[in-house]
Order: sequence, then structure tokens, then C-alpha cells
Amino acid sequence: MNFEIPNFLPAVPEMFVLGMACLILVIDAFLPDSRRDITYGLVQATLVAAAGLTLWMMGPETVLTFSDTFVKDPMADILKVAVYVTSFLVFLYARPYLMERGIHKGEFYILGLFAVLGMMIMISGHNLLTLYLGLELLSLSSYALVAFWRDSTRATEAAMKYFVLGALASGLLLYGMSMIYGMTGSLDIAVIAAELTAADESLNIPLVFGLVFLVVAIAFKLGAVPFHMWVPDVYDGAPTAVTLFIATAPKIAAFAFLMRLLVEGMGPMHADWQGMLIILAVLSLAVGNVIAIAQTSIKRMLAYSTIAHVGFVFMGILAGTDSGYASAMFYVIVYAITAAGGFGMIVFLSRKGYEADQIDDFKGLAQRNPWFAFIMLLLLFSMAGVPPTVGFYAKLAVIQAAVGADLVWLGVVAVIFSVIGAFYYLRVVKMMFFDAPKDENAEPVQPSGALATALSINGLAVLALGIFPGLLLSITHYAIIG
Amino acid sequence: MDTIYLLIVLAPLFGAIAAGLFGRQIGRTGAHTVTILGVAISFILSVVVFWAHVFGDAGIYNETVYTWMVSDGIHFEVGFLVDNLTAMMMLVVTFVSLMVHIYTIGYMKDDPGYQRFFAYISLFTFSMLMLVMANNFMQLFFGWEAVGLVSYLLIGFWYKRPTATYANMKAFIVNRVGDFGFLIGIAALVFYAGSLNYTEVFAEAESMRDATITIWPGWTFGLLDLALIFLFIGAMGKSAQVPLHVWLPDSMEGPTPISALIHAATMVTAGIFMVARMSPLYEFSVAALSFILIIGAITAFFMGLIGLVQNDIKRVVAYSTLSQLGYMTVALGASAYAAGLFHLMTHAFFKALLFLAAGSVIIAMHHLQDMRAMGGLRRHMPVTYVTALIGSLALIGFPFFSGFFSKDAIIEAVGYSQIPGATFAYWLVLAGVFVTALYTFRMFFMVFHGEERYDQAHKYMPDHGDDDDDHHHDHGPLQPKESPWVVTVPLVLLAIPSVVAGYFIGPMLFGDFFAEALFVLPEQDVLATKGETYTGVIAFVLHGLMLPAFWLAMAGLGTAWYLYMKRPELPGVIAERLKLGVRILEDKYGFDRFNDWFFAGGTVRLGRALWRYGDALIIDGLLVNGTARSIGWISARIRHMQSGFLYHYAFVMIIGLLVLMFAYVI
Amino acid sequence: MTFELILFYAFGAILLGAALAMISVRNPVHAALFLVVCFVAAAAIWLLAEAEFLGIVLVLVYVGAVMVLFLFVVMMLDINLAKLREGFTEYLPVGVVVAAAMATVLVLVITRYITMEVPERAGPEYANTEALGAILYTEYVYPFEIAAVILLVAIIAAISLTMRKRPDNKSIDPGQQMAVSREGRVRMVSMPSEKKRAPRRSAQGSGSGASDDDASK
Repeated sequence: MNFEIPNFLPAVPEMFVLGMACLILVIDAFLPDSRRDITYGLVQATLVAAAGLTLWMMGPETVLTFSDTFVKDPMADILKVAVYVTSFLVFLYARPYLMERGIHKGEFYILGLFAVLGMMIMISGHNLLTLYLGLELLSLSSYALVAFWRDSTRATEAAMKYFVLGALASGLLLYGMSMIYGMTGSLDIAVIAAELTAADESLNIPLVFGLVFLVVAIAFKLGAVPFHMWVPDVYDGAPTAVTLFIATAPKIAAFAFLMRLLVEGMGPMHADWQGMLIILAVLSLAVGNVIAIAQTSIKRMLAYSTIAHVGFVFMGILAGTDSGYASAMFYVIVYAITAAGGFGMIVFLSRKGYEADQIDDFKGLAQRNPWFAFIMLLLLFSMAGVPPTVGFYAKLAVIQAAVGADLVWLGVVAVIFSVIGAFYYLRVVKMMFFDAPKDENAEPVQPSGALATALSINGLAVLALGIFPGLLLSITHYAIIG
Repeated sequence: MDTIYLLIVLAPLFGAIAAGLFGRQIGRTGAHTVTILGVAISFILSVVVFWAHVFGDAGIYNETVYTWMVSDGIHFEVGFLVDNLTAMMMLVVTFVSLMVHIYTIGYMKDDPGYQRFFAYISLFTFSMLMLVMANNFMQLFFGWEAVGLVSYLLIGFWYKRPTATYANMKAFIVNRVGDFGFLIGIAALVFYAGSLNYTEVFAEAESMRDATITIWPGWTFGLLDLALIFLFIGAMGKSAQVPLHVWLPDSMEGPTPISALIHAATMVTAGIFMVARMSPLYEFSVAALSFILIIGAITAFFMGLIGLVQNDIKRVVAYSTLSQLGYMTVALGASAYAAGLFHLMTHAFFKALLFLAAGSVIIAMHHLQDMRAMGGLRRHMPVTYVTALIGSLALIGFPFFSGFFSKDAIIEAVGYSQIPGATFAYWLVLAGVFVTALYTFRMFFMVFHGEERYDQAHKYMPDHGDDDDDHHHDHGPLQPKESPWVVTVPLVLLAIPSVVAGYFIGPMLFGDFFAEALFVLPEQDVLATKGETYTGVIAFVLHGLMLPAFWLAMAGLGTAWYLYMKRPELPGVIAERLKLGVRILEDKYGFDRFNDWFFAGGTVRLGRALWRYGDALIIDGLLVNGTARSIGWISARIRHMQSGFLYHYAFVMIIGLLVLMFAYVI
Repeated sequence: MTFELILFYAFGAILLGAALAMISVRNPVHAALFLVVCFVAAAAIWLLAEAEFLGIVLVLVYVGAVMVLFLFVVMMLDINLAKLREGFTEYLPVGVVVAAAMATVLVLVITRYITMEVPERAGPEYANTEALGAILYTEYVYPFEIAAVILLVAIIAAISLTMRKRPDNKSIDPGQQMAVSREGRVRMVSMPSEKKRAPRRSAQGSGSGASDDDASK
């Protein structure tokens, strides 16, 4: 038995978040309901401090530790920071929503923090086991969050669907992982990649067999067609504050999961998974964009739009080039920021007993509050990919990556479907600016508090990143290429 | 140095933002204080920069400040290239702009859009500085479009007047035609050189000379010729060369300070500046130079002729601007870039002076612009009179005034030029001198001398249908008086360089002032030929007295005096005799009519036809609504797949898994 | 065919049969019991593969703890069986086809392409438990800790989803009863003595006078 004490230093942010989560859990147990703001403040402080730690420890080198089950590289650092930032925004947006509905519980933030920890583990996973466990940690927290508002039957139903389907996906993932383990004899990502390179032809079929299961599980997590069925029901059924959470940061983690599993682990089988991702990407673009048109609930509409966005993320990855990965990473970060703003706007417009989750609720917003109508316009434009918002550069980058990989037809398909998709985003814009508000909510919207400020910054950031895309682009390039 | 350059550019931008977005909060005084302060900072720093570059030992500054993005290896950047040429342009732009800012306090004092106006002109100063300081085509194009935009906004400043909105749309659309060419030109250069940076493109100039481009099988052009002619088409739009000149006279609908700043001194010279900046490219394309030469000569002469029949004081100055821009263009075509720039500088001073003087007259006449209702103003407005006289003498090229040096240099340079079209151009610019003197002093005598005709004011009062300035209709007989100091001080300050700027001819034309910035092939260097005989200012003047240009100018002055002072009834008689000629001139050679009928009308007709058959029927009917309807139909159908049943969902997942498995495993 | 192989197929058959029975029997209690059979059979297969620790844990944890709890819940809740089974026959053919397709692929891939040597038997001195223990807290300490965190989250989720204070709950907290103080129960209020039929204005005046008196006490 020759075992060395592992190097704990690279995992300090994870340990810090875990420690704080446990600490806050204990503190929260002793707080009266009126003092939940302390929990909130502590959780936000934890995120800020974790971001500080991660940034402080950031370095260009790749460090493996815990018997190579944990990896810290530039991509991990940057994605973790992105997760902190989006989670911070999400908690900030969620607080007024929870308070108005009398469900301002410490568990929301604590489960959220555990979910963040799960995402961090996924991002830094370098072993099938850690990747899976991180995913489970995230999923379990998400299930609980969806069911968190117990008085809402819709939320409970959504949680049930999410849980059962998620369990099915986990089963598929484990099955796939066991196949890969059986063929390569290792759980270590790097070893698997090396074994695959060395593997002879005869192993190809069983490996692809395992690969199919992995791809299906990833597709489920990201919500790609045809493994997307949970997305609209869960987004719609969950309280908006929770939708806000599960629609944003976990996508970043799922991207990292995909990168670790498919690109770093199964990289030598790129030719095989490229085809699968193409099928999923085209289906997601088509189904996501087309069905979104028929929606009347804005939460469902955004859910289908998420599905379409996943198609774009896949396009960047399946190109199989470094710039493709970087563009997909750019896309997913941009998506997380934009979606946070979009769902945040729903929270902003809702009150107790009124959810503002129908598209009609946005009618005449420009009359009720021109500034926030403008912010929503920026967010919608970014989702539709209208320059000069950042969404345009995100779409441009992934389409460029696909074209660069000689998949011009895929680029054309993507453009066609984003044009179709533009319809339903612009329809909301049209309703905001050209329709009269519904009678029951004709009074002006009074902006107040941190939510309004953060939402404004969120919307303007989408514009600013679009005018100056260089910074984020170079960060993602640095993360992938070094 | 970086900070200074950044500060020069950003100070006016800050002023514009402050006055534009927070105009209501900071009030009128706040608005003009902050913008004038911004431009004054720019001006003072420009002087510092000019000093450092011309008299100090500051080398050429060529650095990228910010990289906006990189696409396909082409860098989109913001960067500054500062050499003597840029330093001169910065000085001219900021100086004239500062003068106009101060002047505006007096000119616009009753206008409700006071803050907006200051925001616009400060924004203009920022854009123009971005343009001249650019070190790459992207930023050049940004500045180019930004000044165009501000020009559009300012021409239509009094947006309630239909004529003003017509004029600003015209300016914008005509400029768009030019910009289209400009963009094609830039694209062609970038396509070949693979870079937007001046230095890198210039480095390819020699190799580009032999490159050709085939647009259509059988149509092969020299790449450089094509690119440069297209670039020059952009310059024709901005610098109002025939046939894209039509917008400039109409632009006089804008407030007079704008006519001085944008449509005389700075923006319209952007085209001249651009061609000079691109001299390392233009030198290698005789075809492009020849094209420039001929266009310039036509503009110089024929636009001057129109000036003879105009009665609106600002329009006379406007046509004179067109004609002078033609002179500058001719200089560029003859490879005498330095002479063109020299004229650009002197013209900026004396034409701004003339415009502001005209503005001063207009204030005194209570916004009346028709010269037929003026006369004898010299008694009432001594300062305006003297400064206008200085400006006029400079314009016609009277010895010892700045215009004399620059114009003579151009004419002689054209005389020495050997490229095709040079002889044609030479005779036109020579004849133009006579015309210039004639219309300039026609205006001068009609305004400042002769009998006072204020009682006819009501006849020529423009009917703007504008509520803002109907206060002057109720006045009794006009009593013109000298304008306030904020108006006259800029006049005096501009009069000084109008006289003395010419004395820089030695270093600027024949010295090495522009040696680093401009590039001239030895065999085309007409200024060097001229420079061989140059011994000093006095000798230059004495030599000029022997040349036909001087005598033609004197003849023009004399004719004007005879026709408008001695025998005021004669012009009417002559007009009667030459009815056809006057008609043609008053019709401005029919450009406007042709444009309205062919381009505007034709476009409308074409658009209507396309709308009816192409858009309404095929695109809207079949493609758009058809697609939308069918997608909506599909969407409504397949949304039912989302049944809400858990086992359906799980089943779909399993099916998906099976499909993937069958597709890839077996 | 060795004895072990016979055992493997026997337990395999039991496993599959019990699983099929579990999803097809009508009584949920029976279904749960069939699941127990599944687990036991699976544990036996583990033992055959010389993973005795996992086999034992499977029996102890799943059969001993989880399934008992499960049975408990099933028996406590009154589940409407008829409703649950609605559409079973309707979907059966599709299900069978899909399951058959799935099984075909699995069988094809595993039998045709996967060839593995029989691993060498470990000697009697080899202990599966010890081997697991040796790496669980060393090489796999990180995944192990994550698993612990997952359990923690499961606890939090379970508590937060089930523990609630009903608004209509009338039960009494003895601790609160004991913690009551005199001040919490009785509040002394000083107020003016009321005169009968006093006119309003004078009543106010005297009221203020009375409160002054109170203050001076």
C-alpha cells in the first residue's frame, strides 16, 4: 500500500463551498423565519468568496489530484466563475419572489449551494465516478428545489416527472459508463482516452454501444431532443425562482460534463459521437424553435428556446475543433446570462398571486415601464441573435465552427431555424411595444430594490458584451486552447 | 503621448454626452460650458501635439489602442496614426470647431434646441477627430459614417421645416451612394491586402499595381485602379464632387454655424484628406488620378458658374465651397497632395470666416438670407464688413492673402502635370479663377455696398411655415446692427489665419513638412518641379503677379465692380440676353431635376412594382405567410406530443436511445 | 458446463422472472416482495463473482432496510390499483416490441463483439471487503466524500419536503407553555377612572389629569 496524502490545494474552492454549506445549514436551523436574509447573505457571500478563491488560484497549468479524480485547468476555473456569477444573479432575482409568496426558506439557498457544489465537482471531474457523483449531487438538489414549493401541485408534479426521468437518465449513464469501463479497464478520463487511441477495431462496436448511452444521458441533462420532454413541464411547473436556477447555471456544468466525457475522454471516437450530436442538434433546433411558436406561456416558450439553444451548443462541440469548443463555451455562458435575465424579468413582473408567466402579460410593457421593456428587448434580441447583442456573436461563432468543420449544410439549417425562432422572440417585443396592456395589469411597474438594478445591469451586459465581445471571446479561447 | 491623443478625442465626446443626454439638467449655460470646455481641451492639446510634431522631435505615432475583435485574421481595431498631416488636420478641426462653438452662443441664443445643437457639434468634433486620427480603414469608415450622421442630424436641425427634412434626407441618400463606393473600395483593398491597417495595406501598394480582378468573364480591371476609383467615389459623396454634389447647396438649410463647420471647413474636406492619406496607393494608379483630376476640374469651374446666379447669401458661399473643393481635388489628381492640403487648410479658415460673416449678416437681417434685400451694410456692421472683405480677398486669391498662395500653387501644379486630362483641367481651373472673383465680389458688393434695400425684405422673406421664428414678421423697417461679441470675436480670430496661413507655403509645399505622411513618385512630383524655382514668399508673390491667374482674378473683381457698383442695371440686361444660359445655371444643369425624375422617381416606381408583385404576392403571400402558416400549423400539431404523461416521456427517451443505437451500433 | 455456470443461469433466471413478475402482479405488496427476490438473486450473482462484500451489503441495505421501509409505505397508503393499471394492455404490445428490440441489440452486441477472458480466481486468503476498504478511503476518498454529501442533500431534501407546520395544527408545545412568564400573561394597563355621564370635553380634560396622577405614583 503506497498511498500519498493528496494535494488538497486545487480543491480548496470545493472544500470551502462544502464547509460553508454545512455551516450555513446549521446557522439556518437556529434562525427564526424573519431572519432568513442572514442565510441569503451568507450564501451570496460564500459565492463571492468562492469566486475570489477560484480567481486567486487561477493558473494556466493543469493540475490533477485525489488520485487523478479531480482536475483543475483553465476551463474548470473559468466555468466555475461563470457558475458563481449566474448563481449569484439567480439567488438575487429569486429572493423577492420567495418572500412575496411566503416561501422564503433557508433550504432554497442551501440546496442551491449544494447544487453549485455539484456543478463544481462536475466541472472538475476527471473520473467517470466523480463526474457521475457530481451530476447526482446537482440533480438531487434540483429535484428537491423543484418540489420545494409544497403547496403548488404543479411544482410537485413537475418534480415527480423530473425525478423519474432523471433517474432513468442516470441509469442509462451508469450503464454506458460501465460499458466503457469494461472495454477500457479504467474510470480515469485520461486513461480512457489513451486506451481508446490504442484500442483495436474489434472493440469499436461495444465502445459505440457504451457511447450511445453516454450521449443520451448528456442529451437528457442538457435537454436535447428527443430527451427534452421534461424541460417544458419542469420549467413551467417549477416556481419561477427555481426555473431561473435550473435553466441557467446547470447548463454550464452540463457543458463541462460533456467536454470532460466526450471530448477529453471519448475524444478518439469523435467521428462516432459527431454524428449523434448532429442528429440531436438538428432535432433540437427544429423542435425547439417550431414548438416555441405555439406556446402561450412565456416560461414554456423559454423552455423550448432553451432546447433550441442546446442545438447550437452541440453545433459548436461537434465541430471537434478547439475553436468549436471555445465557441460552444462562449455560447453556453452567454445563454446562461441571457436566460437568467429573461426569467428574472418574469420574476420582476410577477407579484403574489400573479405569476406574469403568460406571453400576454408582457403586452404593453413599454407603456408600463419603458426602461424594463428595453431591457427585455435586449435580452430577447440576444436570444434571437440580433446584433449588436452578444447572442449574435454566440450564434455566429458556433455556426462558423460548424462551417469550419465542413458542415456547411448544418450551418444553413441553424440559420434557417434561428430565423424561425426569431419570430417568437420578436412577437414578444411586438407585444411589449405595440400592444395595449391587459386591463388587470395596466398600472405602471414600479422598479425597486436590488432586483431592478441587477436586471438592468444584466440587460445592459448583454448589450455591452455584444459591442465588445473580445473579452469574453478571448477568455473562452484561453480556457480551451490555453 | 497616448493619453493626450485619447484625451483629444474623448473630451468632445464627453461634452456631447453631457449636453446631449443631460441637457435638461445642466441647462443652457451648462451645455455650452461643458462642450466648449471639451473642445477647448482638444484644441489646446492639438496645439501641443502640432508643436511636438512640427517643431519638436515627436516621431510618427502609429499604435493600436484597442482591439475590438479579430475575425479571420483581420483585426478590427481602434488606433491612432499621428504625423504632420494628422496634426495639421487636428489643429484645423479643433480650431474651427472651437470658433463655431463660441459663435453658436450668439447665433442660436433664442433656439429651443440649444443643448441639442451643442451636443451635435461636439459629437461632430469627436467623429471628425476619429476620422483624421485613424490608423486603419475600419476607424476611418466609422468616422466617415459618424460625420455623415451628424451632418444629417444638423441639416435637419430645424426638423419642423419641410425643406430642412428634405435636404437632410437628400444629403444622407446622396452620401450613401458615395459610401457604397467607399465600402467597395475598402473591401477590395482588404480583400487583397488582408488587413485593415494603413501601414500594412500601403506595404502592398506596389504589388497591387499589377494585380487584376475579373468581375465578369472578359471584364478585367486593375485591382488598384478599381479599388481607388471606388474609394474616390466615397470622397466624391463626402466632398461634394460632380455628380454627387447635389446635397451640399441644399444642406444650407441647416443653421449657419453648421454650414461653416461641417459643410465648408471640415467634413467636406474629409474626402480630400482621405485621398491624401492614401497617397501611397493613389500614386500607383494613373487611371484613378486622372479620374480625380477631371472630376475636380469640372466641379471647380461649373459649380462656380452656378454661384453667379444665386441670390441667397449662403448658397453663394455654398457654391463657392463646391468650386474650391474642386480645386483641392484637382490638386490631388495632379499628385500635388501637399498643395491640396494646403488649400484645404487656408480654405477652412477663410471659408469658415465667410460663412460666419454671412451668419452675422443673417442675424442682423433677422434671418433673412436674400441678397436682393441687403446692401450698404458696411456702415452698420463694421467688424463683419472688414472680416468679410478679408475672407473674400482670400477666396479670390488676392496677393498676400492665404488663398493666393494655395490657389496659385494648385494652378501651377496642374500646369506641370503630365497625366491624361491635365491640359483640360488646367484651362478649367484657370477660367474658374475669374468666375470665383466675379461671384465673390458680386456677393460682397450686393451685401455691403450700394443702396439699402431693406424695405424689400418682405418680398424675399423665406416662408418656412415654422412656428419658432415668426417673431420677425411683425417688425417695422429693419435696423441692422453689429452682432454681439460672441459672434464677432470668432470672426476676428478666423480672419487672422485667413491672412497669415499662406506664409507657411514654403515648408508645407516645398519643404519636408509632409515628407513622412505623403508619398509621391518622383516622375509625378509636380510640386518638386515648382519647388526648384521657389526662393521665398516675396518672390512667389512677385512671380504670381506675372501669371494669368492673378490677372483673371483682377478682371473678375473689376467686372463685379462695374456690374454691381457702377452700372447696377446691367446684370438684368445681360440676364435677358443670355436667357438660356441663366436658365441652365438656375436649373443647376438639371442635376436635381434628373435625380428627382430618374433616381428618386425611378426608385419609387421600381419599388412600387416590386412591392406589388414581388413582395405582396410572392414573398409575403407565398413565402412569408405561407411558411409562417405552415410552421404554425406544424407547431400546433406537434405540441401535442407534449402530452404531460410521464410514461410517454420515458417512452420517447427509450425510442430515442433505440434509434441512436440502431443508427450507430448496427 | 460447470456448477458455477449452472448457478449463474439459475439465479439469472430467478432475477429476470422475479423482475417480470414484479411489474405485472396486481398487488403492490406482492410486487415489493418480488423485488426482494430480485435483490437476493442479484446478491447471489455478486457472490458468484467473488464480490461478497457487495452481495452482503445488497442484502443488508436493500432487502433489510430499504425494502422493509418500502413495504411499510405501500401498506400504509391505500393505492388505487385499478387506476394505476389503466392502459396496461393497451401499451403492452408497443412495450414488448421496444423491449424486444432493445434486448436484441444488447444480446447481439454482447455476444458478438465482447469477448473477455475469464478472470483468474483469487485465492481463499483474498478478502473483498479488505480490498474495498483499502482503496475507499485512499484512492477514492474524493468520490466517497461526494457520496456522503449526496446523502446529506438527500436528508435535507427529505426534511424540507416533509416537515411542515400546518396552519391548522392545534397541538401544544409544552416547552412554550413552561416558558411563560407573568409579564407574558398579564398586562397592567393604567387608565382613567370613568365618570358617569360626564360631558365629552371635560372627560378629556380630567383624563389627562388622571394620567398625570398615575405618573406621579
